[in-house]
Amino acid sequence: MKAFVKSVALTAMVAALPLVAAGTAQAEGERYVLVSHAPDSDSWWNTIKNAIALAGDQMDVEVEYRNPPTGDLADMARIIEQAAASDPDGIITTLSDPDVLSGPIRAATDSGVDVIIINSGTAEQARDVGALMYVGQPEYDAGHAAGLRAAEDGITSFLCVNHYISSPSSTERCQGFADGLGVDLGDQMIDAGQDPAEIRNRVLAYLNANPDTDAILTLGPVSADPTLLALDENGLAGAIYFGTFDLGDNIVEGIRDGVIAWAIDQQPFLQAYLPVIVLANYHRYGVLPGNNINSGPGFVTADGLELVEQFAGEYR
Amino acid sequence: MSESSAAATPVQDERVKEISGFRKALIRPELGSIVGVVAVFTFFILTAADSGMFNSQGIMNWSTVSAQFMIIAVGACMLMIAGEFDLSVGSMIGFAGMSIAIFSVTLAWPVWLAICLTFALCVAIGALNGYIVIKTGLPSFIVTLAALFILRGLTIYFPQAIERRTIIGGIDDAAAGDWLAPLFGGEIFQGFFVWLADNGLIATFERGTRAGEPVVDGIPMLIVWAIGLVIFGHVLLTRTRYGNWIFASGGDARAARYVGVPVSRVKFSMFMFTAFCACVFATCQVMEFGSAGADRGLLKEFEAIIAVVIGGALLTGGYGSVIGAALGALIFGVVQQGLFFAGVESSLFRVFLGVILLFAVILNTAVRRVITGER
Amino acid sequence: MTSTHAAILEMRDIEKHFGSVIALAGVSIEVFRGECHCLLGDNGAGKSTFIKTMSGVHQPTAGEILFEGHPMHFDDPRDAIEAGIATVYQDLAMIPLMSVSRNFFMGNEPQKRIGPIKFFDHATANQVTMAEMRRMGINLRGPDQAVGTLSGGERQTVAIARAVHFGAKVLILDEPTSALGVRQTANVLATIDKVRKNDIAVVFITHNVRHALAVGDRFTVLNRGKTLGTAQRGQITPDELQEMMAGGQELVALEDSLGGTV
Repeated sequence: MKAFVKSVALTAMVAALPLVAAGTAQAEGERYVLVSHAPDSDSWWNTIKNAIALAGDQMDVEVEYRNPPTGDLADMARIIEQAAASDPDGIITTLSDPDVLSGPIRAATDSGVDVIIINSGTAEQARDVGALMYVGQPEYDAGHAAGLRAAEDGITSFLCVNHYISSPSSTERCQGFADGLGVDLGDQMIDAGQDPAEIRNRVLAYLNANPDTDAILTLGPVSADPTLLALDENGLAGAIYFGTFDLGDNIVEGIRDGVIAWAIDQQPFLQAYLPVIVLANYHRYGVLPGNNINSGPGFVTADGLELVEQFAGEYR
Repeated sequence: MSESSAAATPVQDERVKEISGFRKALIRPELGSIVGVVAVFTFFILTAADSGMFNSQGIMNWSTVSAQFMIIAVGACMLMIAGEFDLSVGSMIGFAGMSIAIFSVTLAWPVWLAICLTFALCVAIGALNGYIVIKTGLPSFIVTLAALFILRGLTIYFPQAIERRTIIGGIDDAAAGDWLAPLFGGEIFQGFFVWLADNGLIATFERGTRAGEPVVDGIPMLIVWAIGLVIFGHVLLTRTRYGNWIFASGGDARAARYVGVPVSRVKFSMFMFTAFCACVFATCQVMEFGSAGADRGLLKEFEAIIAVVIGGALLTGGYGSVIGAALGALIFGVVQQGLFFAGVESSLFRVFLGVILLFAVILNTAVRRVITGER
Repeated sequence: MTSTHAAILEMRDIEKHFGSVIALAGVSIEVFRGECHCLLGDNGAGKSTFIKTMSGVHQPTAGEILFEGHPMHFDDPRDAIEAGIATVYQDLAMIPLMSVSRNFFMGNEPQKRIGPIKFFDHATANQVTMAEMRRMGINLRGPDQAVGTLSGGERQTVAIARAVHFGAKVLILDEPTSALGVRQTANVLATIDKVRKNDIAVVFITHNVRHALAVGDRFTVLNRGKTLGTAQRGQITPDELQEMMAGGQELVALEDSLGGTV
């Protein structure tokens, strides 16, 4: 019994430790909460985390990053409600499913919290929920622009490696690309899952089964990195037309090596950094840009890779 | 043996030690979770009292999240006491939501019909899980793990094949005017909250179309369902013959069979009840948010099991309490939302969860030793 | 004792085959009210199979079961229990995590009706449990005491009291004393004696000759799936019983070298 009491006490102490340590760091000034839809495992959002931290430092405001651990949008709605209940000065959030999120966001704006929509969503949806502005890259348009570019390069068929099938915006990217090419999306989009080995194998399997595929479109580092491995393995690296959304270490390397033709950079840094700057200045001096801000699309190619290389995965 | 002697003080055996009140309290399954609830609230009142956690919106926020956990924890708890697991709860949530969406939006059937069909479908899948477990004698862990993948896969496949997307919205439009939908997505006691707002007891919206309305405008049906299911589960388990059979089936299925307890029927019905609870969860969620997504309910099966274990149930079955599981769900919800209000990095929530789970399992094992006299 | 009235349970030429294994090759016994009929046999002699056939767990491959003079067919244990044949297994069929009173009424819960719903009548269950336990000479702390905290002998007694309370006419006890100490064995044997005096037929399975002789009225020895006959109390010596069980001469030799203590 004694040993048992001891173990109980020990466990309680261990449980309390990180709470005490983490609960102390609080700055003065305005408080902004950024809520994303990304699961914990999505490394792309590191740039967002770094950028709001940087903006928070520069503007001397308190910033927090929140996300649903599994990427469940219903959980995300609760996080927005919760953020609103904590009475922050502003909320910066993605709008990846208006059905689920517009209610909580609307309630937040109605209770007096200023909201900026970033990343997923459209300018129109942002206006509908009462947000100040939208900062991001319209997904369908970005896919469409990429599709037009590929069509100019003579592409007629492609494989879209979708690692986040449950997010409508991912599908829109593939759909936009198909429409830009002027072909039917059909079965050219695969649900790749999030596991690198599985993604690699599915890409290999698809290319084996469809040897006349002209191009590959990946939707971010999560699907691009394993796809690079797959192309190394089947010897199509450099031979097949390869475009991707977003940047990462391996994508940059792929562009330099000529394996990847281009990457669509939506510049996530701006999506996190600008809203904090905009909100802080709005709250301090009452100034607000009159328009939405398009952070992308920008095409990153082998020209001008230097800065991208230097900050890939951190700020780019 | 006459009545009078039965009422007389029983002769004490000198070998039977008087049991102390502390020891007696210790073997109640709810004890750990009651202590946990007190500790958790004390902690947050001390660290997050002025952060909005205990204003009307904040309370509604963690109550709603806790109520969600409670709904699936009740089912998981009864099933675990009956000696089985269901790992397909999370996938079932996604599947049920998608099923309602496809019936009501894609096929444009009335929402009440979509809900009824979905309940029938989910309970049937629960029954199938139970049937396979009972007929094959395989561990329910494996059978429901298979169901986890099958259901999640179908939940992604169907909307994609039919609608070319994985989130189906517009259910709230379809549900407008439906007689059954408010039972899941509605709210009660709205008048009371308006009264509270009018008297300045809770905050109101400052601007927009709802300016002047209370920020919390009623008790969501989700919470009503949670309380209803907890009461139902608790009464069934402790106050009925069937409850005794549930304990017996999980405690020792063979022993229970020997004395005529219909163990297979009990387990079978508990699988169905767990699926029913998952379906309630999904229906409330779909009716509240107006859309169904293929990734809804991810990992919820583990969250349900964690709440149940925090609530004092033994993973091996035969012992536990629905009230304990409900308190476990409350701890889970309050901590998950409360860490945010206390300004703690959210990734540490998982650390906390792991630690509290370990703590609960150690406590439960110790409690079992006290009960069974193992050394 | 034997032929003054008809046997309550008669097993005639019972055979049980499991695939190619013949576990029982024609076993017959008769059991009478108020007697303690000891079924002896070494491990593997077929005792367990035989009593499982008696209690409805197994269906005989061939042979006939007569209960109160009528041929009976038990599909499952429930049928046997309803007829009045209760079995207390070696591993007790008790659930350690549950209270004595919940165990006592497991499968036969008393109910009371409140409105349209039937509830488990805990008050009645607790009262009956306490009374029955006192009658068997066991003082519980309370009816909510978990069975896990009882000693092995006490658990046997709870199981026996349960069977008797629910109207067992034939009580089958599967090795009730095999895992008990001397004092607890004495308690269980005393309980068997009390039960027999209530005009219940007791079938006492054991491989311990001394335990059998302490309470038995008649003795049937099983060896390799067959009976070696039934003997009356006083017609057989412990040594003869022991020898029949062993079914050979080896043990006699061993017994001699050990000085007659086996």
